[in-house]
Amino acid sequence: MLNNITLGQYFPGTSFVHRLDPRTKLLATMLFIIAIFFAQTPLAYAILCGFTLFVILLSRLPLLMVLKSVKPIWIILVLTLGIHMFTTPGETVVYQYSFLTITQEGLAMGGKMCLRLILLLLFSSILTFTTSPIVLTDGIENLLRPFKSIGVPAHELAMMMTIALRFIPTLLEETDRIMKAQTARGADFESGNIFERVKNMLPLLIPLFISAFRRADDLAVAMEARCYRGGEGRTRMHELCYVGRDYVAFAGVLALIVVLAVMRWGSPLIKI
Amino acid sequence: MITIENLKHYYKDIDGNEVRALDGVSLDIEAGEFVAIIGANGSGKSTLARHLNGLLVPTEGRVVVDGMDTLDEAKTWDIRQAVGMVFQNPDNQIVAAIVEEDVAFGLENIGVPGPEIRPRVEKALAAVGMSEYAKHAPHLLSGGQKQRVAIAGILGLEPKCIVLDEPTAMLDPQGRQEIVSTVKKLNQEKKITIVYITHYMEEALEASRVVVMAQGKMQFMGTPKEVFSRVEELEALGLEAPLAAKVASELRKCGAKLPKDIITEEELAQALCQ
Amino acid sequence: MSIELSKVTFTYSQGTPFERRALENISVSIEKGEIVAIIGHTGSGKSTLVQHLNALLRPEQGTIMIDGVNAAAKSKEAKAARHKVGMVFQYPEHQLFAETVEEDIAFAPRNKGFAPDEVKKLVQEAMRFVGLDYETYAKRSPFQLSGGQMRRVAVAGVVALNPDYLVLDEPSAGLDPISRKRVFQEILDLHKKRKLAIVLVTHSMDEAVQYADRLLVINKGKLMYDGAPSEIFKNHSQELRAVGMDTPHIYQLAEKLKAQGLQLKGEIMNERALVKAICEAKGWKYAK
Repeated sequence: MLNNITLGQYFPGTSFVHRLDPRTKLLATMLFIIAIFFAQTPLAYAILCGFTLFVILLSRLPLLMVLKSVKPIWIILVLTLGIHMFTTPGETVVYQYSFLTITQEGLAMGGKMCLRLILLLLFSSILTFTTSPIVLTDGIENLLRPFKSIGVPAHELAMMMTIALRFIPTLLEETDRIMKAQTARGADFESGNIFERVKNMLPLLIPLFISAFRRADDLAVAMEARCYRGGEGRTRMHELCYVGRDYVAFAGVLALIVVLAVMRWGSPLIKI
Repeated sequence: MITIENLKHYYKDIDGNEVRALDGVSLDIEAGEFVAIIGANGSGKSTLARHLNGLLVPTEGRVVVDGMDTLDEAKTWDIRQAVGMVFQNPDNQIVAAIVEEDVAFGLENIGVPGPEIRPRVEKALAAVGMSEYAKHAPHLLSGGQKQRVAIAGILGLEPKCIVLDEPTAMLDPQGRQEIVSTVKKLNQEKKITIVYITHYMEEALEASRVVVMAQGKMQFMGTPKEVFSRVEELEALGLEAPLAAKVASELRKCGAKLPKDIITEEELAQALCQ
Repeated sequence: MSIELSKVTFTYSQGTPFERRALENISVSIEKGEIVAIIGHTGSGKSTLVQHLNALLRPEQGTIMIDGVNAAAKSKEAKAARHKVGMVFQYPEHQLFAETVEEDIAFAPRNKGFAPDEVKKLVQEAMRFVGLDYETYAKRSPFQLSGGQMRRVAVAGVVALNPDYLVLDEPSAGLDPISRKRVFQEILDLHKKRKLAIVLVTHSMDEAVQYADRLLVINKGKLMYDGAPSEIFKNHSQELRAVGMDTPHIYQLAEKLKAQGLQLKGEIMNERALVKAICEAKGWKYAK
């Protein structure tokens, strides 16, 4: 029932984007998100869209698959568009019905916000499509390391993510098994109102929690037996290191940011 | 290698009653030995295992590993590096989502420099015959393969002794065979001391010494021949002798004069057909 | 009265890159009152097969009839038919959830719609079968019991359904020798008393011959052999070995003795028969 769920949305490949260091991809995604908020004019948005399309092509991911990742947030998009459409004050009235007024400004604003959301989602999807969750975890740990001194538990977070990635498939299998066992004892997980359903889920949820705790217990003992004592003094088999293509990627995203910043505020060097 | 002196371990159960999990066990395990520990559920054999690398410490008595007392907290990590442990549930001891990352886990914990880790991981995986699965996800492996990955994770640390706590209880016959032959090979070729806990008697036949546990105490021990020819005593303790030993014992009851130490099918055949 | 699987085919994750054919064109029937062992490697499809016996998995092709009712249908009759099949999964103690032993065992009969006093009777009966004293254990939390006791509570939770067919997947997994024997003894007693059909899924040929009167050998999703254990071992031990399945130890030992010139007579499928045959061959007096 549940065993055909693939974990995350990693799409294996060997493209330029796939081979980038995970830190490069994480930082580049953050920079791109900043760049999105610099954009004002239609031309700026066109540049952003072009850049996104270029990166998708560079990653050799199926274009349609990447575009589909927008689907889960369509409700948010419709709401965003609606709110901006009706609440932005403006002069050019497009449509009016009693107290509801749609202005051209409102439409433009709503469209802009939606486009921002879509671009944001597309770019983060490229990140998760091209980076395996395990490598991503490594990248996050590495980037957070400098913040350890101010109390960010970088290693602990990464260890939690690693263990979660390891055990999600196991727990899914377990869910499947317990569900079948209780179904065979006449349990019904599908009918009834919301309260009945929650109550009906107990024969599934309780064993699942107990099993998860038992596994956590076992794992803690096994980790201790293998000399685990926190992040202090730990080394890593794969030490991440930046190479040529990472610098190329950084240069690309930085160039994008500079162009958009100049378009918005003008160049500090040349007054236009 | 490991000296156990009058080891006692008591704890309180949920109703507040004192449970004597181990009640005065003394045992010497020599370097390079293959010791099998057998006993019914609740006989204290797993509790004993957990004392061998300091996961549990004695209520009374001592456990000394390679000259280090397990009560000495400063030595805990040296002891765990010297004595590796494989547990019963193959799923619940693999930490990472990729096989080679998991094997590297122990080495990362003790601070082996990055570039030295990979060759040691490769060597460990080769020793258990899992090299081709280095990049696989553990949840897609069979039970026997998972247990071999767990063994590799310990081998990377180059331990002197490996304790296996019912490593085959959850495996199918093929997986059990894989583990038994892997363990035997490590003992013979790498001279690693093995403490093997099981309730499958056929597996204990491979050991150089068999220790029988019941009610937190050591009942008797000896070579597999000595232990498994005591068919009735084993049955009284909730254990089972190998098939040939049982048949020989039944035949003796029917008046047959057979040698006392028949435990394998070959020995039985020879005794009956000469 | 039987479960009839005809031409059942099943594929996991159909239509995805992970597609895997688990069963191919399997036709088999389980009659009420018999003890059948299903044996095969991990991944042979035997677990998939038993999940079809009460239509937990719906066949991709083929039909499942339980006492003449199409079990894969959505009707009330189909549901009632499915409830005639009790399923004890591997490590069944992992499905315990209720606060007390009694509540947990009562889960299935309550779902089946029995009245409270009937439920209580069924619970008491089920507990008796698995050797748990009602007065002592009914009000205890199942999670405070030992591993072997938890397993028995879980088995009782299925027995309380009062099934006509009882499927057990590796009921002895992870138990020590004495508990293994006890579990099987309880199953045999239940069979004797209620005349239900027992389907035993196992890796172990030794267990299979000791307890079953019919053997289904599954290999790579196909039914390889279906028949009496002695017949299968006599005629197909070569083929079994070729697919990595050994004949039972007792059978191997008997063969070994015969090969060395001992004249053993009769069908040797358990220890007692072997001892008896050796005594006869050697002229010793068999003492029970």
